[in-house]
Amino acid sequence: MKPVHCANAVPLATLLEYWLDELDEAGDARIAGHLLGCAACSANLQGLLDLAGGVRAAMQAGLLQVVVPDAFLERLAARGLRVREYAVAPSGSVNCTVGPDDDLVVARLGASLAGVGRLDIEQASSTRAQVERMRDVPFDSSAAAVILAANTGQLRALPASTLRIRLLDVAPAGERLLGEYTFHHSPHPGAGRH
Amino acid sequence: MCNGRAIRYTFFAGPIWPYPMEVDEPDGHDHADDATLARRIAAAPGDAAAETELYRRLAPRIRLYGLKHLRDAQAAADLAQQVMLLTLERLRAGKLRDAERLASFVFGTCRMQVLDLRRTGARRARLLDRYATAPQVEEPAAALGLDHARVAECLDRLSERERSVLVMTFHDEQPAREVAAALGLSEGNVRVIRHRGLGRLRDCVNGEGEPP
Repeated sequence: MKPVHCANAVPLATLLEYWLDELDEAGDARIAGHLLGCAACSANLQGLLDLAGGVRAAMQAGLLQVVVPDAFLERLAARGLRVREYAVAPSGSVNCTVGPDDDLVVARLGASLAGVGRLDIEQASSTRAQVERMRDVPFDSSAAAVILAANTGQLRALPASTLRIRLLDVAPAGERLLGEYTFHHSPHPGAGRH
Repeated sequence: MCNGRAIRYTFFAGPIWPYPMEVDEPDGHDHADDATLARRIAAAPGDAAAETELYRRLAPRIRLYGLKHLRDAQAAADLAQQVMLLTLERLRAGKLRDAERLASFVFGTCRMQVLDLRRTGARRARLLDRYATAPQVEEPAAALGLDHARVAECLDRLSERERSVLVMTFHDEQPAREVAAALGLSEGNVRVIRHRGLGRLRDCVNGEGEPP
Protein backbone atom coordinates (compact mmCIF):
# COMPACT_ATOMS: atom_id res chain seq x y z
CA MET A 1 0.00 0.00 0.00
CA LYS A 2 1.34 3.43 -0.80
CA PRO A 3 2.20 5.68 2.13
CA VAL A 4 -0.60 8.07 2.90
CA HIS A 5 -0.19 11.46 4.48
CA CYS A 6 -2.40 13.96 6.21
CA ALA A 7 -1.19 17.08 7.96
CA ASN A 8 -4.00 16.72 10.53
CA ALA A 9 -4.20 12.94 10.67
CA VAL A 10 -6.92 11.54 12.91
CA PRO A 11 -5.26 9.33 15.54
CA LEU A 12 -6.02 5.63 15.31
CA ALA A 13 -7.68 5.68 18.75
CA THR A 14 -10.05 8.43 17.59
CA LEU A 15 -10.85 6.56 14.38
CA LEU A 16 -11.83 3.58 16.51
CA GLU A 17 -13.92 5.75 18.83
CA TYR A 18 -15.63 7.20 15.77
CA TRP A 19 -16.36 3.76 14.38
CA LEU A 20 -17.72 2.48 17.69
CA ASP A 21 -20.01 5.52 18.10
CA GLU A 22 -18.16 6.63 21.22
CA LEU A 23 -17.83 10.28 20.16
CA ASP A 24 -20.43 12.91 20.87
CA GLU A 25 -22.48 14.27 17.98
CA ALA A 26 -20.15 17.18 17.26
CA GLY A 27 -17.07 14.95 17.40
CA ASP A 28 -18.70 12.40 15.14
CA ALA A 29 -19.59 15.04 12.56
CA ARG A 30 -16.10 16.56 12.70
CA ILE A 31 -14.42 13.21 12.02
CA ALA A 32 -16.98 12.20 9.37
CA GLY A 33 -16.43 15.48 7.51
CA HIS A 34 -12.66 15.11 7.70
CA LEU A 35 -12.76 11.52 6.44
CA LEU A 36 -14.89 12.43 3.43
CA GLY A 37 -12.29 14.96 2.39
CA CYS A 38 -9.18 12.99 3.30
CA ALA A 39 -7.98 9.93 1.41
CA ALA A 40 -5.18 9.29 3.90
CA CYS A 41 -7.33 9.09 7.05
CA SER A 42 -10.00 7.22 5.14
CA ALA A 43 -7.41 4.61 4.19
CA ASN A 44 -6.38 4.38 7.84
CA LEU A 45 -9.99 3.73 8.83
CA GLN A 46 -10.27 1.07 6.14
CA GLY A 47 -7.09 -0.52 7.53
CA LEU A 48 -8.66 -0.57 10.97
CA LEU A 49 -11.77 -2.28 9.59
CA ASP A 50 -9.63 -4.83 7.78
CA LEU A 51 -7.92 -5.58 11.08
CA ALA A 52 -11.30 -5.94 12.78
CA GLY A 53 -12.37 -8.33 10.01
CA GLY A 54 -9.22 -10.37 10.58
CA VAL A 55 -9.97 -10.61 14.32
CA ARG A 56 -13.55 -11.72 13.60
CA ALA A 57 -12.37 -14.31 11.11
CA ALA A 58 -9.72 -15.64 13.50
CA MET A 59 -12.27 -15.95 16.28
CA GLN A 60 -14.86 -17.63 14.09
CA ALA A 61 -12.25 -20.03 12.73
CA GLY A 62 -11.51 -21.06 16.33
CA LEU A 63 -7.88 -19.96 16.12
CA LEU A 64 -7.79 -18.08 19.41
CA GLN A 65 -7.41 -19.08 23.01
CA VAL A 66 -9.12 -16.29 24.86
CA VAL A 67 -11.17 -15.58 27.96
CA VAL A 68 -14.62 -14.30 27.03
CA PRO A 69 -17.74 -13.31 28.97
CA ASP A 70 -21.09 -15.08 28.80
CA ALA A 71 -22.75 -12.39 26.71
CA PHE A 72 -20.11 -12.83 24.03
CA LEU A 73 -20.83 -16.56 23.79
CA GLU A 74 -24.52 -15.82 23.45
CA ARG A 75 -23.81 -13.47 20.55
CA LEU A 76 -21.66 -16.10 18.83
CA ALA A 77 -24.47 -18.62 19.12
CA ALA A 78 -26.96 -16.05 17.84
CA ARG A 79 -24.76 -15.62 14.75
CA GLY A 80 -25.12 -19.33 14.10
CA LEU A 81 -21.72 -20.52 15.32
CA ARG A 82 -21.71 -24.01 16.80
CA VAL A 83 -20.23 -23.74 20.25
CA ARG A 84 -19.44 -26.91 22.21
CA GLU A 85 -19.30 -26.13 25.91
CA TYR A 86 -17.92 -28.14 28.82
CA ALA A 87 -18.91 -26.84 32.24
CA VAL A 88 -16.72 -28.15 35.04
CA ALA A 89 -16.90 -27.50 38.77
CA PRO A 90 -13.75 -27.05 40.88
CA SER A 91 -12.02 -30.44 41.30
CA GLY A 92 -14.27 -31.81 38.59
CA SER A 93 -13.39 -33.65 35.41
CA VAL A 94 -15.03 -34.24 32.07
CA ASN A 95 -14.57 -36.38 28.95
CA CYS A 96 -14.33 -34.07 25.99
CA THR A 97 -13.77 -33.88 22.28
CA VAL A 98 -14.17 -31.52 19.35
CA GLY A 99 -16.64 -32.48 16.64
CA PRO A 100 -16.08 -31.94 12.94
CA ASP A 101 -18.91 -29.41 12.87
CA ASP A 102 -17.90 -27.49 15.98
CA ASP A 103 -16.80 -23.93 15.34
CA LEU A 104 -15.69 -23.31 18.88
CA VAL A 105 -15.03 -25.26 22.07
CA VAL A 106 -15.21 -23.51 25.41
CA ALA A 107 -14.52 -24.54 28.98
CA ARG A 108 -16.75 -23.02 31.64
CA LEU A 109 -14.67 -23.19 34.79
CA GLY A 110 -16.87 -22.77 37.84
CA ALA A 111 -15.28 -20.67 40.58
CA SER A 112 -16.01 -18.11 43.22
CA LEU A 113 -14.20 -15.02 42.04
CA ALA A 114 -15.22 -12.53 44.73
CA GLY A 115 -12.19 -10.87 46.27
CA VAL A 116 -9.78 -12.14 43.63
CA GLY A 117 -7.13 -9.57 42.70
CA ARG A 118 -5.24 -11.07 39.80
CA LEU A 119 -6.38 -14.22 38.07
CA ASP A 120 -4.00 -16.58 36.28
CA ILE A 121 -4.88 -19.74 34.36
CA GLU A 122 -2.38 -22.57 34.35
CA GLN A 123 -2.62 -25.41 31.85
CA ALA A 124 -0.70 -28.70 32.02
CA SER A 125 -1.22 -31.18 29.20
CA SER A 126 -0.08 -34.78 29.13
CA THR A 127 1.22 -34.06 25.62
CA ARG A 128 3.52 -31.21 26.69
CA ALA A 129 6.36 -31.03 29.15
CA GLN A 130 5.82 -27.36 29.88
CA VAL A 131 3.06 -25.85 31.94
CA GLU A 132 1.47 -22.87 30.17
CA ARG A 133 0.32 -19.86 32.10
CA MET A 134 -2.11 -17.17 31.06
CA ARG A 135 -1.35 -14.23 33.31
CA ASP A 136 -3.72 -11.59 34.57
CA VAL A 137 -6.78 -12.66 32.62
CA PRO A 138 -9.81 -10.35 32.75
CA PHE A 139 -12.75 -11.57 34.80
CA ASP A 140 -15.98 -10.36 36.31
CA SER A 141 -15.78 -10.87 40.06
CA SER A 142 -19.55 -11.30 40.24
CA ALA A 143 -19.55 -14.13 37.67
CA ALA A 144 -19.75 -17.75 38.77
CA ALA A 145 -17.31 -19.02 36.17
CA VAL A 146 -14.43 -18.18 33.88
CA ILE A 147 -15.07 -19.02 30.22
CA LEU A 148 -12.05 -20.04 28.24
CA ALA A 149 -12.40 -20.42 24.47
CA ALA A 150 -9.92 -22.96 23.15
CA ASN A 151 -7.92 -22.93 19.95
CA THR A 152 -10.10 -25.41 18.07
CA GLY A 153 -7.48 -26.06 15.40
CA GLN A 154 -4.97 -27.17 18.03
CA LEU A 155 -7.60 -29.29 19.78
CA ARG A 156 -8.39 -31.13 16.56
CA ALA A 157 -4.74 -32.11 16.19
CA LEU A 158 -4.51 -33.50 19.73
CA PRO A 159 -4.26 -37.25 20.37
CA ALA A 160 -6.10 -38.74 23.35
CA SER A 161 -4.71 -36.78 26.27
CA THR A 162 -5.45 -35.14 29.58
CA LEU A 163 -5.40 -31.42 30.26
CA ARG A 164 -5.38 -30.02 33.77
CA ILE A 165 -6.40 -26.41 34.22
CA ARG A 166 -5.89 -24.49 37.45
CA LEU A 167 -7.39 -21.13 38.31
CA LEU A 168 -5.12 -19.13 40.62
CA ASP A 169 -5.72 -16.01 42.67
CA VAL A 170 -2.35 -14.28 42.54
CA ALA A 171 -1.47 -11.86 45.31
CA PRO A 172 1.84 -10.41 46.54
CA ALA A 173 1.65 -12.75 49.52
CA GLY A 174 1.33 -15.80 47.30
CA GLU A 175 -1.08 -17.80 45.19
CA ARG A 176 -4.40 -19.34 46.14
CA LEU A 177 -5.90 -22.20 44.17
CA LEU A 178 -9.46 -21.40 43.17
CA GLY A 179 -10.13 -24.62 41.32
CA GLU A 180 -8.59 -27.45 39.36
CA TYR A 181 -10.35 -28.91 36.33
CA THR A 182 -9.47 -32.04 34.38
CA PHE A 183 -10.32 -32.59 30.73
CA HIS A 184 -9.93 -36.08 29.26
CA HIS A 185 -9.72 -35.41 25.56
CA SER A 186 -10.41 -37.99 22.84
CA PRO A 187 -10.33 -37.29 19.13
CA HIS A 188 -13.84 -37.28 17.72
CA PRO A 189 -14.87 -40.60 16.17
CA GLY A 190 -15.98 -38.72 13.08
CA ALA A 191 -12.67 -36.87 12.71
CA GLY A 192 -11.08 -37.39 9.32
CA ARG A 193 -14.34 -38.37 7.68
CA HIS A 194 -15.15 -34.73 6.78
CA MET B 1 1.01 -3.38 -4.51
CA CYS B 2 0.61 -0.44 -6.85
CA ASN B 3 4.08 -0.16 -8.31
CA GLY B 4 3.61 -2.86 -10.90
CA ARG B 5 0.86 -0.82 -12.52
CA ALA B 6 -1.37 -3.87 -12.49
CA ILE B 7 -4.73 -2.23 -12.73
CA ARG B 8 -7.97 -4.08 -12.21
CA TYR B 9 -11.25 -2.70 -13.41
CA THR B 10 -14.57 -3.18 -11.76
CA PHE B 11 -17.81 -2.33 -13.50
CA PHE B 12 -20.84 -1.37 -11.54
CA ALA B 13 -23.93 -3.34 -12.33
CA GLY B 14 -26.58 -1.40 -14.17
CA PRO B 15 -26.49 1.65 -16.36
CA ILE B 16 -25.80 4.26 -13.70
CA TRP B 17 -22.02 4.26 -13.80
CA PRO B 18 -20.68 3.13 -17.15
CA TYR B 19 -17.01 3.97 -16.57
CA PRO B 20 -14.41 1.49 -15.39
CA MET B 21 -13.27 2.05 -11.82
CA GLU B 22 -9.59 1.57 -11.06
CA VAL B 23 -9.42 -0.17 -7.71
CA ASP B 24 -5.66 -0.45 -7.21
CA GLU B 25 -3.79 2.17 -5.24
CA PRO B 26 -2.39 4.94 -7.43
CA ASP B 27 1.23 6.05 -7.16
CA GLY B 28 0.09 9.25 -5.61
CA HIS B 29 2.50 11.66 -7.32
CA ASP B 30 0.59 12.58 -10.44
CA HIS B 31 -2.97 12.31 -9.25
CA ALA B 32 -5.01 15.42 -9.19
CA ASP B 33 -6.67 16.24 -5.91
CA ASP B 34 -10.44 16.27 -5.42
CA ALA B 35 -10.86 19.99 -6.01
CA THR B 36 -8.82 20.01 -9.20
CA LEU B 37 -10.90 17.17 -10.56
CA ALA B 38 -14.09 18.97 -9.56
CA ARG B 39 -12.93 22.07 -11.46
CA ARG B 40 -12.11 19.95 -14.52
CA ILE B 41 -15.57 18.40 -14.52
CA ALA B 42 -17.25 21.77 -14.08
CA ALA B 43 -15.18 23.30 -16.89
CA ALA B 44 -15.72 20.44 -19.34
CA PRO B 45 -18.81 18.37 -18.57
CA GLY B 46 -18.35 14.95 -20.09
CA ASP B 47 -14.68 14.66 -19.09
CA ALA B 48 -14.98 10.94 -18.42
CA ALA B 49 -11.41 10.59 -17.18
CA ALA B 50 -11.91 13.26 -14.53
CA GLU B 51 -15.26 11.82 -13.49
CA THR B 52 -13.83 8.32 -13.22
CA GLU B 53 -10.92 9.53 -11.16
CA LEU B 54 -13.13 11.55 -8.84
CA TYR B 55 -15.36 8.52 -8.42
CA ARG B 56 -12.37 6.31 -7.67
CA ARG B 57 -11.21 8.73 -5.01
CA LEU B 58 -14.49 9.61 -3.35
CA ALA B 59 -16.69 6.53 -3.56
CA PRO B 60 -14.69 4.43 -1.05
CA ARG B 61 -14.86 7.27 1.49
CA ILE B 62 -18.61 7.60 1.04
CA ARG B 63 -19.01 3.84 1.33
CA LEU B 64 -17.16 3.97 4.67
CA TYR B 65 -19.44 6.77 5.82
CA GLY B 66 -22.37 4.58 4.83
CA LEU B 67 -20.99 1.53 6.62
CA LYS B 68 -20.54 3.56 9.78
CA HIS B 69 -23.95 5.16 9.73
CA LEU B 70 -26.04 2.39 8.15
CA ARG B 71 -24.09 -0.73 9.28
CA ASP B 72 -25.04 -2.49 6.07
CA ALA B 73 -22.67 -3.19 3.18
CA GLN B 74 -25.30 -3.09 0.45
CA ALA B 75 -26.86 0.09 1.79
CA ALA B 76 -23.38 1.66 1.99
CA ALA B 77 -22.70 0.75 -1.64
CA ASP B 78 -26.06 2.24 -2.63
CA LEU B 79 -25.20 5.40 -0.72
CA ALA B 80 -21.87 5.75 -2.52
CA GLN B 81 -23.62 5.35 -5.87
CA GLN B 82 -26.33 7.88 -5.07
CA VAL B 83 -24.10 10.51 -3.55
CA MET B 84 -21.61 10.32 -6.39
CA LEU B 85 -24.39 10.63 -8.92
CA LEU B 86 -25.74 13.75 -7.20
CA THR B 87 -22.25 15.20 -6.85
CA LEU B 88 -21.38 14.69 -10.50
CA GLU B 89 -24.71 16.09 -11.64
CA ARG B 90 -24.09 19.16 -9.53
CA LEU B 91 -20.57 19.58 -10.90
CA ARG B 92 -21.62 19.06 -14.53
CA ALA B 93 -24.36 21.65 -14.13
CA GLY B 94 -21.84 24.13 -12.76
CA LYS B 95 -23.83 24.45 -9.55
CA LEU B 96 -20.93 23.67 -7.26
CA ARG B 97 -19.01 26.88 -7.86
CA ASP B 98 -16.42 26.61 -5.12
CA ALA B 99 -14.59 23.33 -5.78
CA GLU B 100 -12.86 23.64 -2.42
CA ARG B 101 -16.26 23.10 -0.82
CA LEU B 102 -16.64 19.72 -2.51
CA ALA B 103 -16.12 17.75 0.73
CA SER B 104 -18.76 19.86 2.51
CA PHE B 105 -21.23 19.24 -0.28
CA VAL B 106 -20.52 15.49 -0.22
CA PHE B 107 -20.85 15.43 3.57
CA GLY B 108 -24.18 17.24 3.51
CA THR B 109 -25.48 14.97 0.76
CA CYS B 110 -24.36 11.89 2.67
CA ARG B 111 -26.24 13.02 5.76
CA MET B 112 -29.44 13.64 3.82
CA GLN B 113 -29.21 10.36 1.94
CA VAL B 114 -28.53 8.41 5.13
CA LEU B 115 -31.65 9.90 6.69
CA ASP B 116 -33.62 8.81 3.61
CA LEU B 117 -32.12 5.32 3.58
CA ARG B 118 -32.81 4.93 7.30
CA ARG B 119 -36.43 5.87 6.77
CA THR B 120 -36.67 3.40 3.88
CA GLY B 121 -34.88 0.76 5.93
CA ALA B 122 -37.19 1.25 8.89
CA ARG B 123 -40.18 0.91 6.62
CA ARG B 124 -38.74 -2.25 5.06
CA ALA B 125 -37.96 -3.68 8.51
CA ARG B 126 -41.53 -3.05 9.63
CA LEU B 127 -42.86 -4.85 6.56
CA LEU B 128 -40.49 -7.77 7.02
CA ASP B 129 -41.43 -7.94 10.65
CA ARG B 130 -45.03 -8.14 9.69
CA TYR B 131 -44.97 -10.40 6.64
CA ALA B 132 -41.76 -12.39 6.55
CA THR B 133 -38.62 -13.42 8.36
CA ALA B 134 -35.56 -11.36 7.51
CA PRO B 135 -32.73 -13.46 6.11
CA GLN B 136 -29.70 -13.79 8.37
CA VAL B 137 -26.80 -12.08 6.64
CA GLU B 138 -23.46 -13.29 7.86
CA GLU B 139 -20.20 -11.81 6.69
CA PRO B 140 -18.17 -14.64 5.13
CA ALA B 141 -14.88 -14.88 6.99
CA ALA B 142 -13.05 -16.00 3.88
CA ALA B 143 -14.00 -12.79 2.08
CA LEU B 144 -11.93 -10.67 4.42
CA GLY B 145 -8.77 -9.09 3.15
CA LEU B 146 -6.30 -9.98 5.90
CA ASP B 147 -4.73 -13.35 6.53
CA HIS B 148 -6.65 -14.29 9.67
CA ALA B 149 -4.11 -16.95 10.64
CA ARG B 150 -1.53 -14.16 10.82
CA VAL B 151 -3.94 -12.02 12.84
CA ALA B 152 -4.46 -14.98 15.20
CA GLU B 153 -0.69 -15.38 15.62
CA CYS B 154 -0.36 -11.70 16.46
CA LEU B 155 -3.30 -11.78 18.87
CA ASP B 156 -1.64 -14.72 20.57
CA ARG B 157 1.37 -12.53 21.33
CA LEU B 158 -0.68 -9.92 23.18
CA SER B 159 -1.40 -9.94 26.88
CA GLU B 160 -4.54 -11.78 28.00
CA ARG B 161 -6.36 -8.53 28.70
CA GLU B 162 -5.41 -6.99 25.38
CA ARG B 163 -6.57 -10.09 23.53
CA SER B 164 -9.92 -10.31 25.32
CA VAL B 165 -10.58 -6.59 24.93
CA LEU B 166 -9.68 -6.52 21.22
CA VAL B 167 -11.68 -9.65 20.44
CA MET B 168 -14.73 -8.21 22.15
CA THR B 169 -14.23 -4.78 20.60
CA PHE B 170 -13.74 -5.99 17.05
CA HIS B 171 -15.87 -9.09 16.90
CA ASP B 172 -19.10 -7.40 17.84
CA GLU B 173 -18.05 -3.76 17.55
CA GLN B 174 -18.60 -3.25 21.24
CA PRO B 175 -17.86 0.19 22.72
CA ALA B 176 -15.54 0.49 25.71
CA ARG B 177 -18.47 0.88 28.10
CA GLU B 178 -19.90 -2.53 27.23
CA VAL B 179 -16.57 -4.32 27.09
CA ALA B 180 -15.77 -2.89 30.52
CA ALA B 181 -19.04 -4.08 32.00
CA ALA B 182 -18.62 -7.59 30.59
CA LEU B 183 -15.01 -8.03 31.66
CA GLY B 184 -15.20 -6.39 35.07
CA LEU B 185 -12.88 -3.53 34.11
CA SER B 186 -13.32 0.23 34.20
CA GLU B 187 -14.16 2.01 30.95
CA GLY B 188 -10.97 4.04 31.16
CA ASN B 189 -8.93 0.92 31.68
CA VAL B 190 -10.52 -0.71 28.63
CA ARG B 191 -9.64 2.33 26.50
CA VAL B 192 -6.01 2.16 27.64
CA ILE B 193 -5.78 -1.60 27.06
CA ARG B 194 -7.53 -1.26 23.71
CA HIS B 195 -5.25 1.51 22.51
CA ARG B 196 -2.07 -0.31 23.52
CA GLY B 197 -3.27 -3.64 22.15
CA LEU B 198 -4.43 -2.13 18.87
CA GLY B 199 -1.04 -0.53 18.25
CA ARG B 200 0.78 -3.76 19.03
CA LEU B 201 -1.58 -5.84 16.90
CA ARG B 202 -1.30 -3.51 13.94
CA ASP B 203 2.49 -3.39 14.14
CA CYS B 204 2.66 -7.18 14.33
CA VAL B 205 0.25 -7.73 11.43
CA ASN B 206 2.16 -5.19 9.35
CA GLY B 207 5.43 -6.86 10.30
CA GLU B 208 6.69 -3.67 11.95
CA GLY B 209 8.60 -3.25 15.18
CA GLU B 210 9.68 -5.85 17.66
CA PRO B 211 7.37 -8.78 18.29
CA PRO B 212 5.30 -8.04 21.39
